[in-house]
Amino acid sequence: MGLHSYFGGATIQTLKMAAVPASASYSRFVFSPISRNLVALDSFPRHSPSPPFPLLARALSMAAAVQTTPPSSEDIGTATGSVGKPQWKAAIDFKWIRDNREAVAENIRKRKSKASLELVLELYEKMLAVQKEVERLRGERNAVANMMKGKLEPSERQKFIEKGKNLKEALASFEEDLVKLSDELQQEAQSIPNMTHPDVPIGGEDSSAVRKKVGSPREFSFSVKDHLQLGKELDLFDFDAAAEVSGSKFYYLKNEAVLLEMALVNWTLSQVMQKGFTPLITPEIVRSSIVEKCGFQPRGDNTQVYSIEGSDQCLIGTAEIPVGGVHMDSILAETVLPLKYAAFSHCFRTEAGAAGLATRGLYRVHQFSKVEMFVLCRPDESDTYHEELITIEEDLFSSLGLHYKTLDMASEDLGAPAYRKFDVEAWMPGLGRYGEISSASNCTDYQSRRLGIRYRPAELAASTNPKKGGKGNLAPTKFVHTLNATACAVPRMMICLLENNQQEDGSVIIPEPLRPFMGGMEVLLAKHHTG
Amino acid sequence: MGLHSYFGGATIQTLKMAAVPASASYSRFVFSPISRNLVALDSFPRHSPSPPFPLLARALSMAAAVQTTPPSSEDIGTATGSVGKPQWKAAIDFKWIRDNREAVAENIRKRKSKASLELVLELYEKMLAVQKEVERLRGERNAVANMMKGKLEPSERQKFIEKVLNHSASGKNLKEALASFEEDLVKLSDELQQEAQSIPNMTHPDVPIGGEDSSAVRKKVGSPREFSFSVKDHLQLGKELDLFDFDAAAEVSGSKFYYLKNEAVLLEMALVNWTLSQVMQKGFTPLITPEIVRSSIVEKCGFQPRGDNTQVYSIEGSDQCLIGTAEIPVGGVHMDSILAETVLPLKYAAFSHCFRTEAGAAGLATRGLYRVHQFSKVEMFVLCRPDESDTYHEELITIEEDLFSSLGLHYKTLDMASEDLGAPAYRKFDVEAWMPGLGRYGEISSASNCTDYQSRRLGIRYRPAELATKFVHTLNATACAVPRMMICLLENNQQEDGSVIIPEPLRPFMGGMEVLLAKHHTG
Repeated sequence: MGLHSYFGGATIQTLKMAAVPASASYSRFVFSPISRNLVALDSFPRHSPSPPFPLLARALSMAAAVQTTPPSSEDIGTATGSVGKPQWKAAIDFKWIRDNREAVAENIRKRKSKASLELVLELYEKMLAVQKEVERLRGERNAVANMMKGKLEPSERQKFIEKGKNLKEALASFEEDLVKLSDELQQEAQSIPNMTHPDVPIGGEDSSAVRKKVGSPREFSFSVKDHLQLGKELDLFDFDAAAEVSGSKFYYLKNEAVLLEMALVNWTLSQVMQKGFTPLITPEIVRSSIVEKCGFQPRGDNTQVYSIEGSDQCLIGTAEIPVGGVHMDSILAETVLPLKYAAFSHCFRTEAGAAGLATRGLYRVHQFSKVEMFVLCRPDESDTYHEELITIEEDLFSSLGLHYKTLDMASEDLGAPAYRKFDVEAWMPGLGRYGEISSASNCTDYQSRRLGIRYRPAELAASTNPKKGGKGNLAPTKFVHTLNATACAVPRMMICLLENNQQEDGSVIIPEPLRPFMGGMEVLLAKHHTG
Repeated sequence: MGLHSYFGGATIQTLKMAAVPASASYSRFVFSPISRNLVALDSFPRHSPSPPFPLLARALSMAAAVQTTPPSSEDIGTATGSVGKPQWKAAIDFKWIRDNREAVAENIRKRKSKASLELVLELYEKMLAVQKEVERLRGERNAVANMMKGKLEPSERQKFIEKVLNHSASGKNLKEALASFEEDLVKLSDELQQEAQSIPNMTHPDVPIGGEDSSAVRKKVGSPREFSFSVKDHLQLGKELDLFDFDAAAEVSGSKFYYLKNEAVLLEMALVNWTLSQVMQKGFTPLITPEIVRSSIVEKCGFQPRGDNTQVYSIEGSDQCLIGTAEIPVGGVHMDSILAETVLPLKYAAFSHCFRTEAGAAGLATRGLYRVHQFSKVEMFVLCRPDESDTYHEELITIEEDLFSSLGLHYKTLDMASEDLGAPAYRKFDVEAWMPGLGRYGEISSASNCTDYQSRRLGIRYRPAELATKFVHTLNATACAVPRMMICLLENNQQEDGSVIIPEPLRPFMGGMEVLLAKHHTG
């Protein structure tokens, strides 16, 4: 019954919004052969001299907003695999960074980032100088070549041949320097964090500001159990078997826990589809370059990412990654924006370095189910959609009757990609504390500059822009803004529901909205054990 | 509405059956430190001499049904990592193999297995001889030790010491001789284990003998639908209905990955929900399982997690891999435990994502959703008494057939031929459904009776009333492999206008949706 009204109409409406221009699917393949080549090169580093990146100089001399011409696979395929070489290029706006060096430096300080702005600017200036020299030499070489097209005395011709040869050698050497410099610059600049929303509180975790508080901790007239104890009595989990079969922090869901997970996912999807989000089920194995482009570190000692042996692939820690990749290296029509996705996936995390943290039961686990919202929109709309996302989250959690607070996360707690981040922390009476149940981030153009996701403003905007007369009515492309937000991280939601809705007899009341998705079940009852 | 009646009562009933004796959870940890040690050893093979396996001789002299004392972690932890050493021991009944050598040889022939029975029997006889010698020497050593406990003349005592020091003609003393034989015993039993693990399960007498073409049709339901228009395959339908994105997935993940979009997401959820509700009605306990498991569990279920042509994705820098089917983590739930007979049968229905490399599948049908690296599946798994496994095998195939009939599919059920069973199955029933877009029948499910093949590797026993423990039988059967089901539903239920009718049973799980309609593209 309940489901019927959610779908039908809403879905069709969503579909229209989600349509993508045909050009997107063609441009997608530009990058595909690259990562394979580079992985092979990494294993067997070659020390041959680097050939030039012909597209690079052009890219860097273009306006920042359109400097993302992706290198063709041929160029990259023959590049050296020297250590520290970036495997892909973010379209970082170096000119903007130079012109706003004070603001960028201040931002790096605010966020306690380890990025070195000095080094980035130094490399950028060096690179500009070399680039200028390369362009001058190319001009000369072309002039010489033009001269030689005409009729010449043999002695004259010989002089030009000599000159051309010298120019070619000088040019090759400078071009090589240019490649090295731009690689170094890319490497350094990738660690510069996103800028910070002016309203973000400055400081560490404790500085985060409470935006909103809903409800209050439930008063219990009996001694509360945590979700592990409740789960044991209700026969909902098996951590012991999972520890043997898989390792610690794995678990089986059993009996009504399976139904509860299905209900949470179904209900959440139906809710967000009503709000115009297109549902997706995503790949859970992705190329590691996509993980990097979304701002995560797939390698290193403390990585949260599981890698697949003998390949460049890894497991996703969140559906944000494969959804971010859907429109990679493409130019969207402005009319399709905003694109709003709600992606269901399993998520996998190593939880390396989490030894000291709260790890009881379902709170911190290696595998879990999650519905993640993801929005691609025009830059001027991302603040609005950020508000929309946090409102959707709050509405979902309120519908389930949770007591929670929403935090405007402090500058040092944002991670590199987020411009602003809202976390929701819900009361978990069994654990006796608030625990994070969701996170909504506005990443502005941090991810889109790495993933190469641009849009072309409508023609009207172009015709009113006097700067771009030469290119007909086509406006220059811009990077979209991306936002992501948890709609439902199943295990943490289970903790909240079990611990908050427990009754004195050990039973657990199922929140009203989930009941239609559990065949009308209203309560989880304790089992009688046999055997 | 529909769901309400399925749960409530049925679930509670299932729970009683699923209860496990408390001892199980304790014995579970016996194995956990082992695989880690061995992985480390594999990377850095040590060539120190093998210390003895003290438990092994005892295990082998015991009755086959109870010979599974798992080696303690200490024993394995210090063992050498020489190539070919098994990382765990299957409780293979060597005595039974020797006593039934003709039947076993015939079975190996029937299944075109590469196992070498001759070598297994030779190693077994050798091992028995060495074991006998070890026992004799231990007896002697104990006798001497006992003698020396009493009061003795110094000269007498000296004689015993001489005896221990200068044993036999070999010149070795008793202690040294024993150590040497014990070392041989370990090596032999490792070799024996390695060889014997490749012996396939025995074969049900009704299984047709031969290759794929010999498989017998057990049942045929319906007939191919007659179309009055030219049919589209699921890829074409999915494109028009905006259900999949293979192009984006190829770039983000690789070929044979895909995104499900729009109603395809709802269809997957509906298939999983409906299937779970159906099998729960039949008394199956629902599970959602880990999808990363230790590779030893994969091996114990009869799969090969390593090697060039492995179907298994491994996790870098660990001994873990991704599951190709929920059969693996469900098989592991009761690993190394002894169940009370009263809890049997245990019936599970596990939902998981499955991951397969599809190595070597280059030449096979690979269009669209048919052969993919990741998919959702509900898998049934039964643990039961040996005398009941044939009955539960019939029950499982009947459940599958009922599910597919409810969805209106045209299919046939095959009794798979001996060469097509794989090592673990004693008998296997496959269901192949008609896929009009692909223009052929395609496998949509498989139901296998593995008898005690997996339980002897996983160490899952039960204790009949007042008797010695026995190995349970395990069975597994696909309840719903989502992508293949989607192919069937899309291709069989397509209408001339490109829309697709949703089967009646799934509609309540899709909010009453009755048809998938073609989209109008914008942009």
